[in-house]
Amino acid sequence: MFIDINAGVGHWPFRQTPGNTCEALLHRMDQYRVDLSVVSNLHGIFYKDTQAANEELYEQIRSHRRFRDRLVLFAAINPLYAGWKRDLKICRTGFGAVGIRLYPAYHDYGLSDPCCLELVRTARDHGMPVAFPLRMVDSRARSWMDVSKEWNLKEFIPLIREVPDARFLLLNVPAGFPLKEEEEKVLREHQVLLDTSGRNISDLGRWIKKLGTEKFALGTHTPLLDYVTGLLRIESLLPDEADETARQLLRSGNAKRFLGL
Amino acid sequence: MQEAASSAAGLAAYRNTAENAVYAGPAHNSGNLMDEVRKYRKIDAHEHVGLSGTLEDQLKMADKLGIETLVISRPIVVQTEAETTPEKFRQGNDLVGKSIRQHPDRYLGLFYVNPIYGKESLEEIRRCVDQGMVGLKVYNQVKINNPLFYPIIERLIDLRMVILVHSHCGIGVGGKRTKYGNIQPNVSIPEDFVEIAIRYPEAMFLYAHLGGGGDWEYACKAMADYPNIYADTSGSNNEGGLVDYAVRYLGADRLVFGTDGSYYQGVGTLLASRLTEAEKKKIFFENFNRILRKSGNHVH
Repeated sequence: MFIDINAGVGHWPFRQTPGNTCEALLHRMDQYRVDLSVVSNLHGIFYKDTQAANEELYEQIRSHRRFRDRLVLFAAINPLYAGWKRDLKICRTGFGAVGIRLYPAYHDYGLSDPCCLELVRTARDHGMPVAFPLRMVDSRARSWMDVSKEWNLKEFIPLIREVPDARFLLLNVPAGFPLKEEEEKVLREHQVLLDTSGRNISDLGRWIKKLGTEKFALGTHTPLLDYVTGLLRIESLLPDEADETARQLLRSGNAKRFLGL
Repeated sequence: MQEAASSAAGLAAYRNTAENAVYAGPAHNSGNLMDEVRKYRKIDAHEHVGLSGTLEDQLKMADKLGIETLVISRPIVVQTEAETTPEKFRQGNDLVGKSIRQHPDRYLGLFYVNPIYGKESLEEIRRCVDQGMVGLKVYNQVKINNPLFYPIIERLIDLRMVILVHSHCGIGVGGKRTKYGNIQPNVSIPEDFVEIAIRYPEAMFLYAHLGGGGDWEYACKAMADYPNIYADTSGSNNEGGLVDYAVRYLGADRLVFGTDGSYYQGVGTLLASRLTEAEKKKIFFENFNRILRKSGNHVH
């Protein structure tokens, strides 16, 4: 079984991204035998009112049973925008959102800002994991209209310490390894799950040895990144890097546990 | 003029697929992605030695992903162009030669020179060819369209060997409407490739790392009409659709597989493309081998 914890649908305003609909995502999932995908609407980055993006995705998912059965909604929430608490409640209780996705660089707040801390604590109180894509695209190739900020893993250490009982999904990690021993310890000892889509996951075998097999899960970052690389990082692991039990955790076990599926 | 990629039929097919967004690639009936990986012979057209890790580490990673041949070079990374002295590029080439001798069944070598030192560069090319190296790699000391390069390019034409050129294409990253902001002053940009490709239509220029962080859409469009410009797929930025887009503009015969150390991305982005199996075979192996065949250095 495979679960992708980092998928998206919707338009990216700066270039054409084929495969950005629920239908196309499902086709890709079938092609690579991915059973479930955690999905957010990319429009939630760009709409001022992110709830409109959540509504769009919810309507798409509920329109067909095959979407409902295999797409897991993560809601885009902007804690600087009016009504976010109501939006979160609707997404959680009405739309069946399992977690939330935050985009601090796009929505213009910092990880230590009170609004961010309040949202992470609120999600924690409702048992919802909080996903942070560390970047959406490579800033070197970005549009001149796009943000330049890329986060690195180190920058999340204070937030994890500040809300130690929250669950964090850190996605598309471009930089941050290697970490200091005390920083690695924070990742090991808290509820943190990294996906396999990021550039910095250049040697997954090495990193599961350092941080633990339970700290990683399949992620594609589709449609902005290719669909295969995140999967390849797991499937190409050698037997001395990951036995079959470890592979199953990376493919789906860690995601199931973390998301409560 | 390049024809296939810009044909109306090709464009219509691309648009149809992009808009319907349904990938026509094969289902993995075996359920094993690695079977798909191993299905394709691979020549990694853009690799290095001496920058990080050991040869054994590199070959272990190559083995994981079924990369049988790695085309290696040792670029000299310095502050000013004149610092890349003949002594330094000879040392780098010696490292490449030593690596090839250690693993002759896995490595092919590209020599490295600095055209500021014209006489020494031509002598070095002769020395490296005598050692069995198969082409030229250049970095950012001198733009590829600088007249200093002319005698070197002419030598490579005589040798029927490829010229792999480090590239940059940062559009707007230096600020709104800044076409090439914040870059190394002598790095080659797509327009430089076009200029030199027109001057030397019989030479083979290989635009390095489409996935290396540059604007690959811009680069592909800029170079679309020049059949002696090839591009490699290497780099860490495995953006979805990169390979399909490159084939749309350059055609499936002008794209070659590469990693530049980003092994997973190199293999993953090509496997994930919507290309046919025959097109993937070309890009993973056949296209670069065709280039090598011109000088009799092809892989059997």
